[in-house]
Amino acid sequence: MRYESARLTDFQAGPATERRGGFDSSFFLLVMLLLVMGVVMVLSSSYARAYYDPGNITGGNAAYYFVRQLVYAVLGTAGMLLASRLPMPFYRRYAFPFLLLTLLLLLLVPFVGVKANGSRRWLGIGGLTLQPSELAKLAVILSFSVLICRFRDRMRSFRFGIMPFAAILAVIVGLLVLEPHFSASIIIIALGGIMMFLGGAGLGWFLAAIGAAGGALAVLLTFFPYASSRINTWRDPFSSSSDEGYQIVQSLYSIGSGGLSGLGLGGGRQKFLYLPEEHNDFIFSVICEELGLIGGVLILSLFALLILRGYWIALHCRSRFAFLVCAGISTLLAIQVFLNVAVVTNLVPCTGISLPFFSYGGTALLIQLGEMGILLSASRDILVQR
Amino acid sequence: MKENQTKAAAAQSPPNRQMLRRALFLMALFGIAAFLVLFARLYQLQILEHDRYEKLAIEQQLRQAPSSTARGIIYDTNMNVLAISASVDNVYLSPAEIEFYGEDKELIARELAKILDLDEAEILRKTSQTGSWYVTVARKVEREQADQVRQLKNRYGLRGVRLETDTKRYYPNSTLACHLIGFVGTDNYGLEGIEARYDSYLSGTAGRTVRATNAFGTDLLFAQFEEYQPGQDGYDIVTTVDSTIQYYVEKHLKQAVQDYDIQNGAGAIAMDVNTGAVLAMASLDNYDLNHFLDVSDEARAAIDAAEDADQAQALLSEAQTRQWRNKALSDTYEPGSTFKIITLSMALEEGAVDLNSSFYCGGHVNVKGRTSPIRCWKDGGHGSQNLTQAVQHSCNVAFVNIGQRIGAEAFYRYCEAFGFLELSQDPDVNLTATTGIDLSGESGSIWWSQNTFCSQKNLSQLAAASFGQTFTITPLQLITAVSACVNGGYLMQPYVVREMLNPDGTLAYERKPTLRRQVISEETSAAVRGILEQVVGDPNDGTGRNAAVAGYRIGGKTGTSEKVSLEAQTGVKEYIVSFIGFAPADDPKIAVLIFLDTPSNASGVYVSGGQMAAPVVGRMMADILPYLGVEPDLSQEEAANMDVNMPSLSGLSLHEAVERLNDSGLRYRTIGTGDFVTGQLPRAGVSIAGGTQVILYLDSQVSADLETVPELSGMTYREARDTLSYYGLYIQTASPVTDAENQLVSSQSIPAGTALEHGAVISVSLISGDESMLGKY
Repeated sequence: MRYESARLTDFQAGPATERRGGFDSSFFLLVMLLLVMGVVMVLSSSYARAYYDPGNITGGNAAYYFVRQLVYAVLGTAGMLLASRLPMPFYRRYAFPFLLLTLLLLLLVPFVGVKANGSRRWLGIGGLTLQPSELAKLAVILSFSVLICRFRDRMRSFRFGIMPFAAILAVIVGLLVLEPHFSASIIIIALGGIMMFLGGAGLGWFLAAIGAAGGALAVLLTFFPYASSRINTWRDPFSSSSDEGYQIVQSLYSIGSGGLSGLGLGGGRQKFLYLPEEHNDFIFSVICEELGLIGGVLILSLFALLILRGYWIALHCRSRFAFLVCAGISTLLAIQVFLNVAVVTNLVPCTGISLPFFSYGGTALLIQLGEMGILLSASRDILVQR
Repeated sequence: MKENQTKAAAAQSPPNRQMLRRALFLMALFGIAAFLVLFARLYQLQILEHDRYEKLAIEQQLRQAPSSTARGIIYDTNMNVLAISASVDNVYLSPAEIEFYGEDKELIARELAKILDLDEAEILRKTSQTGSWYVTVARKVEREQADQVRQLKNRYGLRGVRLETDTKRYYPNSTLACHLIGFVGTDNYGLEGIEARYDSYLSGTAGRTVRATNAFGTDLLFAQFEEYQPGQDGYDIVTTVDSTIQYYVEKHLKQAVQDYDIQNGAGAIAMDVNTGAVLAMASLDNYDLNHFLDVSDEARAAIDAAEDADQAQALLSEAQTRQWRNKALSDTYEPGSTFKIITLSMALEEGAVDLNSSFYCGGHVNVKGRTSPIRCWKDGGHGSQNLTQAVQHSCNVAFVNIGQRIGAEAFYRYCEAFGFLELSQDPDVNLTATTGIDLSGESGSIWWSQNTFCSQKNLSQLAAASFGQTFTITPLQLITAVSACVNGGYLMQPYVVREMLNPDGTLAYERKPTLRRQVISEETSAAVRGILEQVVGDPNDGTGRNAAVAGYRIGGKTGTSEKVSLEAQTGVKEYIVSFIGFAPADDPKIAVLIFLDTPSNASGVYVSGGQMAAPVVGRMMADILPYLGVEPDLSQEEAANMDVNMPSLSGLSLHEAVERLNDSGLRYRTIGTGDFVTGQLPRAGVSIAGGTQVILYLDSQVSADLETVPELSGMTYREARDTLSYYGLYIQTASPVTDAENQLVSSQSIPAGTALEHGAVISVSLISGDESMLGKY
C-alpha cells in the first residue's frame, strides 16, 4: 500500500535534513478562504461602531477596525508561510523555552497588564497588545507533545502520564486565575486533557477528572451566586434582557432574525450598537444575521473541513511529535470554533471566546495563523497524494 | 548526545495505534459531531424560531414617531372659530449624544437660556444627565424662538439639541364660553368641556413615521427603512353656541356678580326652546383658556401668602378646580320658586286646577307631617287669588295647595316625565337623573325615595317640592324642563354640538334635535305661557316685572332658594337667587336661566330673584332679542324713553337744530346768545336716553372743565337722567325703560365721585322701586 510504503521510504531516508516537500495546499486554501471572509466580516460588522465611535477610539473612521485587521491578516499570512518553512524539530527544540517565556509573560500580566472590564488579560507592547493566554495554548500543545514523546510507554502511569502535565496546567491556570480569565482556563484545561488523552494516559483518569469537574461545578453553583446567576442568565436570558442577559439576547435577535438567507452582506441592523462585541466575540451573530442559515452553515462547514483536514494531516504524520502537534492544533481550533458558536447561540453559558480568523484582534490572529503555519510545516513531511 | 538522539528518535517514531485510534475519535467528535450540534442549533434559531426573533428585533430596531395630526377646529354656530390648533415645537436635549460627540454643554445652556428665556443653570444640569436620550427643555415653543434654536443647531452643528413638532391650541376669545369649550393638556388631550367630551373626534388618528434606528435612537448610517403612515386629521366641530349671545350673557352676568357682590359664583344658560340647543352657557368665575392654569389675582395672592409649598400647591389646585367647574352643569341646587312653572304645568295638564281656580293665602298653611306651618313670603298673605295671580305672586301657600291637588304619585310621575328623576323598582332608594347633554361633568339630581315622598302620613315633602325645595337639580335640568313647559310640551334633549365636519369641510355628522317625549299638551303649554307672561309683563302684580324689556313679550319666573341644609348645619342664611325667562312669550324662541350663588347682603339691593336676577335676564333679553331679529313692539311711553343718537348740530341755525332735536325726541337748553349753534353737548353720534335735555352753545365752546359724577342709586330713572344732564353728563340704559317714574337706578357704570369730561355717558341698571315687591320669592 502506498501509505505504508511512504512511511517506510521516509524512515529510510534518515534525519529530516533532507529537502522538504510542499505543504498541504487544501489546508492552506481553506485557511486563506476563512481569513478573507473573516476580514470582510470585520468590515461589515464593525463599521457602525467605528463610525458612531461611542468609546472614543476610532475618531469616526468607519474603516478603522477593518484596516487594522487587514494589516494583521497580511502580516499573519506572511508569518504563517514563514512558520511553515521552519522544520518540526525546531518547534520541538524550542517548545520548553517557549513555555517558559509564556509563563513569564503570564506572570507579568497581573502586574503590568492592561485592565479592561475588571480583568487584566493583555500586555501592552508599544502600540500592540498581546494576550499571553493565546501563547499559552500553543505552549501547552508543543510542550505536552514533547513530553508525550519522551515518556512514550510510561504515559499510562500516574507519575509520568498525569503528574508533569497536571503540574504545567496547574501553573498556567493558576496564573490565568489571577487575571482572571475563566474561558482561557477552560480551553487550556480541555486542550491539555485532550493532549494527554492522545498521548495515551489511562481513560480512568479522564473519567475521574470529568467527575471531579462536575462536582466542582456543583459546588461553585451552590456557593457562588455570581456563577449561578450566569447559569440563570443562560437558561433564560430574556428574564434579564436589559442587563446580564442583554448580550446574549441581542445575539439571539441577530441570529434568529437572519432566517434562511439573511439580510444580505452589510445589511445587518443589530450591529448598529444593539449587539455588543459585534466585531469580536459576537461576529458570528452578525454572520448569521447577514448571511442567514446558509451563510452560517457554509462558514462552519469550511471550519469543519479545515479541522478534518488538520486531523487528516496529523494521521499522516510520520513522526509522533508532528502527529501530536497537528492533532493538538486541530483540536484547539475545533474547541474555539465550537465554544464561540455555542456561546453566541446560547448553547453554553456566555463567556468571552473569539472565533478564529473572524474575530477582530491582531495578535490573536497572528498567533492563530502561526499555528496554522506549524501545521503546514508538518504537512510538508508527509508523502502521500503528492 | 546519546540522550539527545534518543529523544529525537522518540519524537521521530510514528504514533502508535492507540494514538491513531484516539485521534480518529477526536476527528469524528470535533470535525463532525460538534458541527452537527451547531447546525441543529442554527436551524432551530434561524428557521424554527425565526419569526419570533425577527419580530423582537424589529420591535427594538424601529422607532415610531407619531406624526402630529391637526386637531379639529371648534366653531360656534355661525362658524366663528372658538378653538384652533397651530404648529409649534418642543425643544429637547439628548444629553447622551452631547456627551458622545463632545458638544459644548456650557454653550448649549447659555444659548438656549438666552433664546428660550430659561434658567441657564437648569439647562446645564439637564445636559449632564448623560444616561438619557430625551430631556425636555421647553414645550410648545413658538415659531420665532424655534427658528432661533434651529439656527443655533446649524451654526455649531449640535446633534444633541433637538426639536420635535407639536401643536398648540389657541382660543381666540380667551375667556368666552371657557367652560363650554374646555381646554387641552400639554399632551393635547382634551381635559374639559367639548375638548374633553369630543376628544376622540377632534384629535383624529395620529399618523406615524416608522424608521430603523441604531441603539441611540438616531438614524441608521444609511437610511435603510422608513415608512410613513399618514394620520387622519380630526373632525371640525360646529357647536350650537352663538358667540354673540354668549357674549351678552357673560357680560351681564359678570356685571351682576360685581353689582351684587356675589360670593360663590354664578351661572347662566341660554337655550333654544324648541330644539334644546344650548346657545350660551356661562359659569363664573371664569378663566382664560389660553392660560387655563393661571388663577385669579385673588387666589394668586392667597397662594403667595401660603406658609409652605404643600399648602400653596393645595390652594392652587383648589383654585384651578374651582375656576374650571361648570356651575351650570355640575352644581345642583334647590331651584325654589322657578320650579313653580313645573308644578303649574303638571297641575293644568292633570286638570287639578284651571284658570278659574281660586286659592286663599292667609300667610301660612299647616301641612300634615310638619310641626310648624309653611309660611308664605308675604306676611299676612296674599288673600284670595286666582291661578294667574297665585303664580304672579309666587305664592307658596297656593302652591302647597296645588301640589296637594296633584298628589304625590302624579307629581313624581311628572317629575320623571320632565327628566328630573328616574323612577326605580325599589321604592326606598333616592332618585336621580341627568339630561344626557353631550358635555362631561354633568351632575345628577337628588330626590327623596318614592316611599318617603309619597307617604300619606307625611305630606311635607310634596308641599315643599311644590315650590321647589327639598330636592336638588342642575340648572340645565330646569331650563330643559321649562323649555318643554312653554314650547308646546316637548321635552328636548339639550346638546351643544350640531355638526361634525370632515377635514375637507364636508359634513360628517349632523345632530338632529332629539325629542325625548311630549310631557304636556299644546293647550296646557299655551296656558302656562300666558300665565308666565303676566309674571313679567304685569307692572302692578308681577313679581318678575324687573325682567321686562320694553317692546318685547317676555315670560318668566323668579326664584330665591334658601340653602336649607347649610342653615341647619351652620345657622348661616344663604340664598341662591335665580330667574328663568323666555321670549317672545307668545312664540318662544329662547329661554335664559341665570342663578347667582350667595349675593352679599351689603350690596344695597334686596336679596331676591325678583330684585337681583330678573333685571339681569331683562338686560340679556334686551340685547339678545334684537340680535335674533325679534321685532320690538313699543308703546308710546316706551318709545319716548328709548336711547337715541345725538345728531350733529354744530354750524346749524338754532331753528334747524331745534327741529332736529324734536325729531330725535330730545329736549335742550341753550348757553349764550346767538342764532347759530357753535357747540353741543353731548357729541354727535353718542347714544343717550330719549327725552334727555342736551345743551346747545350759541357763542362759546364746550367747557374743558371736568365734572364730578353724582351718586345715582335710589333715584328714579327720570331723576337720574335729569340730574346728569344738569351737569352736562348723560344717561344710558342697557334695557329700554318700561316705567321712568317708578324704576330706580340700582347701579351705575361709573362710580360717584369720578371726574369726567362734559358729555360723558354713564350706563345705569334699573330695578322696580315698588316696596311691596321686596320678598323672598
